[in-house]
Amino acid sequence: MTYFLAVNASGASHAVTITLAMSALLFTIGLVGFLVRRNMILMFLCTEIMFQAAALAFIAFGRMRMDTGGQVFVIFILTIAAAEAALALGLVILLFRRKETLSSEAWSELHE
Amino acid sequence: MPLLPFYIASAVAAVGLLFILRPNKPALRRGGAVVALAGTGLFLSEALRLAGPPTADVPIALLIALVVIGLFAAVRVITHPRPVFAALYFIVTVVASAVIFLLLQAEFIAFALIIVYAGAILITYMFVLMLADQGPRDSIGHIDDDGDYDRVAREPMAAVLVGFILLGTLSAVVERIPNTAVLAQANLDEKVARQQVDALMMMPKHLLNVVKRTDAAAVSVTVPPNTAIQGSIVQTQVTRADGTVVNMAVDTAGKIDNTQMVGLDLVARYPASLELAGIILLMAMFGAVVLARRQIEFGEDEVRDAAGLGRIVLDVPDHERAAPGGRS
Repeated sequence: MTYFLAVNASGASHAVTITLAMSALLFTIGLVGFLVRRNMILMFLCTEIMFQAAALAFIAFGRMRMDTGGQVFVIFILTIAAAEAALALGLVILLFRRKETLSSEAWSELHE
Repeated sequence: MPLLPFYIASAVAAVGLLFILRPNKPALRRGGAVVALAGTGLFLSEALRLAGPPTADVPIALLIALVVIGLFAAVRVITHPRPVFAALYFIVTVVASAVIFLLLQAEFIAFALIIVYAGAILITYMFVLMLADQGPRDSIGHIDDDGDYDRVAREPMAAVLVGFILLGTLSAVVERIPNTAVLAQANLDEKVARQQVDALMMMPKHLLNVVKRTDAAAVSVTVPPNTAIQGSIVQTQVTRADGTVVNMAVDTAGKIDNTQMVGLDLVARYPASLELAGIILLMAMFGAVVLARRQIEFGEDEVRDAAGLGRIVLDVPDHERAAPGGRS
């Protein structure tokens, strides 16, 4: 039985394996960053890291099956990332105007 | 237990990341970086061990170097005390993954990624970072106590724990799924050849250009229905400039490059998704405009001035003009 991490038998190569591993690590770093960062802009930058990881996985799986569908999906990821950046930064600007700080802690009293 | 090495590697990397997240302790951070690097190396080597003997189609050393550079830059994004530098490090991550895309034969996406991410999205982030005044001050101009929010991590322990669990789950799921979708090399070659033939048949002008490379006198080319397709070779009928029609075998291998293939896929296989992406972008633009709009109250006269209309002058009778509250 072959496994996703053991894709060598399929003719896709070690490159796919390494890219998938990097995708997992990058997604984790993005998630940890989202939790750890207190600057609202950088929190959204960390979601971009997670988008990046998803794109890497799509390209790797597309290469594995020699299917351009993975690459087409990355184009849609780019679209979503652009839309998300525009909206998130608009929101951040709005919040910054209210409290004159980018710290996400400034909004923590909403639930207290 | 095949997953144990992954769990150990995730734990080591998590501990390293935890130390990296400690501010103001350079020695601890350096040690944490070494530990995290060791964990990453363990993770990658375990994945490589599962993948079996190496193949020579991609320079593995270059790929691993790119992975390390990309991950290092990503860690700097989440740890750097200055936001602008964090955004710059993100560009490094983007460029590293773009080069990996190049190695995985996704050339169009690689350059689109650099143009859109590093060129457009990151510049937007930079604009907002510059726009939002750094170093928050209170009303008298002193730096707030809260001003270290870029240096001190929030709940690093819990965050790293969550990251460790996520990484362990990811490796478990990815390792466990029986991969029935894997195609043998012969099937893969056949699939690629078939894609090339199909794509070329959908692009008659491009097919004519391909034919013209071998027969400069060709003016039109048709692919008869039920034509014989053997591997990447397709039988076509070529009409030449002198009116004769000849049969010609066209080898489509390598005639369609990555950009043409992606473009064709985008409009031929996923047209509805393409339209949907356009609608999402439009809605995002509306949303951003509505969000960023500043509420400014205008009086009636300013509105009429802006619209190029004259001001309203009421024709008030004389006896009312003298009344209190009336216009003078």
